[in-house]
Amino acid sequence: MSDKRDLLIEIGVEEMPPGSLKPLASAFHQSLSQALENGQLNFTDCQWFATPRRLGLLIQQLDTAQADITQQRKGPSVEAAFDESGKPTKATEGFARSCGVTVDQLERLETDKGTWLAFTQQIKGKQSTELLPELIEQALKRLPIAKRMRWGNSDIEFVRPIKWILLLFGQDAIACNIMGVESGTHSYGHRFHHPQPIAIKSVDQYLSTLKDQAFVIADYSERQSMIKQQAKSLADDLHGEAIIDADLLDEVTSLVEWPVAFVGNFDQQFLSLPKEVLIANMQDHQKYFPLKDKDGKLMACFIGIANIDSTDPAQLRNGNERVIQPRLSDAAFFWEKDIKFGLENRVDALKQVIYQKQIGNLHERKNRITEIASYLAKHINADQTKTKRAAELCLCDLLTEMVYEFSELQGTMGKYYATAAGEDQDVADALEAFYLPRYSGDELPSDPIAQCLSLSGKVESLLGIFAIGKIPTGDKDPYGLRRAAIGALRILVEGKLDIDLRALLDHSAEQFDASLKAEQQVQAVFDFMMERLRRYYLDLGINPDVFDAVAAVTPDNLLDFDQRLQAVTAFRQLPEAESLAAANKRINNILKKNGEVVTNKINNTLLDETAEQTLAGLLSEYHTNLAPMLDNNEYQQALSHLAGLKQPVDDFFDNVMVMCEDEATKQNRLALLGNLNQLFLQIADISKLQGK
Amino acid sequence: MQNPVNSFQQLIFALQNFWSEKGCVVMQPYDMEMGAGTFHPATFLHAIGPEPWRAAYVQPSRRPTDGRYGDNPNRLQHYYQFQVILKPSPDDIQQYYLDSLTALGVDTSIHDVRFVEDNWESPTLGAWGLGWEVWLDGMEISQFTYFQQVGGLDCKPVSGEMTYGLERIAMCLQNCNNVYDLVWTQQDDNIVTYGDIYHQNEVEMSNYNFDLADTSSLFQWFDTCEQQSQLLIEKQLPLPAYEMAIKASHAFNLLDARGAISVTERQQYILRVRSLSRAVAQAYYDSREALGFPLLQESNSA
Repeated sequence: MSDKRDLLIEIGVEEMPPGSLKPLASAFHQSLSQALENGQLNFTDCQWFATPRRLGLLIQQLDTAQADITQQRKGPSVEAAFDESGKPTKATEGFARSCGVTVDQLERLETDKGTWLAFTQQIKGKQSTELLPELIEQALKRLPIAKRMRWGNSDIEFVRPIKWILLLFGQDAIACNIMGVESGTHSYGHRFHHPQPIAIKSVDQYLSTLKDQAFVIADYSERQSMIKQQAKSLADDLHGEAIIDADLLDEVTSLVEWPVAFVGNFDQQFLSLPKEVLIANMQDHQKYFPLKDKDGKLMACFIGIANIDSTDPAQLRNGNERVIQPRLSDAAFFWEKDIKFGLENRVDALKQVIYQKQIGNLHERKNRITEIASYLAKHINADQTKTKRAAELCLCDLLTEMVYEFSELQGTMGKYYATAAGEDQDVADALEAFYLPRYSGDELPSDPIAQCLSLSGKVESLLGIFAIGKIPTGDKDPYGLRRAAIGALRILVEGKLDIDLRALLDHSAEQFDASLKAEQQVQAVFDFMMERLRRYYLDLGINPDVFDAVAAVTPDNLLDFDQRLQAVTAFRQLPEAESLAAANKRINNILKKNGEVVTNKINNTLLDETAEQTLAGLLSEYHTNLAPMLDNNEYQQALSHLAGLKQPVDDFFDNVMVMCEDEATKQNRLALLGNLNQLFLQIADISKLQGK
Repeated sequence: MQNPVNSFQQLIFALQNFWSEKGCVVMQPYDMEMGAGTFHPATFLHAIGPEPWRAAYVQPSRRPTDGRYGDNPNRLQHYYQFQVILKPSPDDIQQYYLDSLTALGVDTSIHDVRFVEDNWESPTLGAWGLGWEVWLDGMEISQFTYFQQVGGLDCKPVSGEMTYGLERIAMCLQNCNNVYDLVWTQQDDNIVTYGDIYHQNEVEMSNYNFDLADTSSLFQWFDTCEQQSQLLIEKQLPLPAYEMAIKASHAFNLLDARGAISVTERQQYILRVRSLSRAVAQAYYDSREALGFPLLQESNSA
């Protein structure tokens, strides 16, 4: 039995990028855990730590050595091992030599198939201290670092220069060199509160030593809850609530080792600016948490998280206020200037801005969006005048000073500036909703004008970018086409818009300059969107075979597509489903084998067998019954009705020989099957169903 | 205790003294218009090749598009950077930098000094590096970069570059909210402010940069500088070739401020300057190699 000890690894690094801190720490955790397991070193738990200046792992109850292994090696069979004179062959001698013994020391291994020469050896497990340095270095080299760097004279690459490496196994050091740095048993404290080295006496004292003596909260989640707690407490004092964005909270947690929250103020007059502008200023540049009062209104103050327990907090606060004040002055200046200029007056200037070199300028894009949006408005009964007006203005805010400074305010500023200019409120709101959904799971435009606008923008991007051949591949999607496609699909499906997607794409393609040949991309864009649609439905829990069954009959209207999916999903649960799916598969195979169908007309006089007569009779009856259901998109009802064909179809295959001698009879039976097949294909290709 | 660095010029003296003691060659500004201290040959060219090098200097920097006609208390089209380059970057380079702040009178037990990720890239110089912007109570006061590539060449060894925004730091040290109110120097009751020296310059230069610079001659000048630079590369004269590239770059910046360059053309102009920078970088490397990398031998024999 091997001993077990706790292992502590701390990699001291110059300040790491806040966005990659958590991913790096957790990748280090995964990578080394895996390496230990692969190396037959067992442990009970592995935990990661991360601050801007350190990545740490604490591995509990790690084996101090690999287990010894008993291994039996099989050599040649006794029969083949010796020559006629009983002397060992060259191969036998070689085997013995490789085992480090003489031939007569080899064992005899009895098996069913005869007796073999063998050797049992004890492989001594290696010490963990011997294995760990290499395992750790390899794990560090495998970290998913977006941009690696070198420093000084060294060729070693890492996220930032490595300053120290702490390795503690139980209470002992593991002396080694990892990534060019000699390991030790010292850590370093906070850069300003405790810059000198600090000895860590044992693994279990790591967190407490850093926290109690060195002003470092190494535990990421502990630090995060401290930040939340401090922010809440300060906000409570002000009778307000801190607005804490989750990503920003992660970023702030990754920028401090010793969080100390403080409140700063700015001039009340700036509260007249749109709240999004104030929030963007506080969050983006300065990493502050904005505050809102009980009525949800922004307050003229913010909460910052410093990385120091300042000996004169007033100076620290003043400094921070000195930064935000001019930024807000700039914002107020942009706001006034943009309003004075007027949103509408930017339409012409769209001509000066390139959208994409081959596709043209923003003014041309605006024109196409307007055409597509008008087409949609007509089809879904949106107010056509307002839709057109919104489309006319939807790109204008891109040219405002405010959006130039804060690009994430695109759309939002359009709404504010349109409102300020006295535009209709539906039009103004649509300018903001134009960008919805912004991310996976985001809200969708709900107003019909906004739906038309948002959908047009996305379809226009897809066709245009496809037309210049910049189709997304792998993880490269610089124009965000996957997001555009899924956004468009969600608006169509969840908005229950009765729109023929293919016709929409055809119409949209016509808006592009003929030289781009956008019409040739309609199919590719349609297929691209179908791929997204498949993933979308799979995520919603639709079975892949159900999706494929519906996709096979390519309904161009997604509302219709959705109804068919629901119907096939319900049908799949019916007891008749499996056998009808199998029958359709069989029919497909038969029809495929016989190539071109000569006729789809059934000649009743050629029907000999009872089973085929029954089926033929039913087919025309079903055909008539189905028609009104299909007209009303009542697919579920139609499929339940078709389930009634199970027995007659089974009887047909049990009693009728399709590929019979008589050519005319055979062709007639093929026609019968063709008709049956067509009946189902009006809804979906249920031969794709895989069974439950 | 009174802050010893209470004027703009004392700030410069203090930094020069500090870095002089760290073994830097204290140089003077390059006598040409440039967008940043990185363009000074003491940084751009010396970062190339194996020769060790330490230098520090003030560089007036011109960014025509940042002009505000003297109306904005924080933005200038002409301002000062204090540039330090240490090659190879020493292990304790961050501590050097922090010590320099202390030398300026920044008390790091009061103020929140932070190294916040910033990845630097200069498309015109074909250069990039990783590092930080340095925050002092949320104010960006310096850029700190480990050069990885310069002029398209891998940096071996890596240079550490520190760029102090002098006006920003002075505003913190003097607790001042308007750049024009900064004390440049004070002799008894006689105060000369930053505004006394530069306000008129900001107003007039903004007028020139935004409204009056003659675009057609600037376009021609850009072409001339580009041709000259290429010719000088052929003649294996990287230093004058580089000056021509700097002139082309400034002409481009002026045209940009005049709004004379469209978005697509913009990229083309940047690429043209970058090709010059790359060619200069290679030619400079070759010329130093031909000389046997003299600074390398000095440091070995020392």
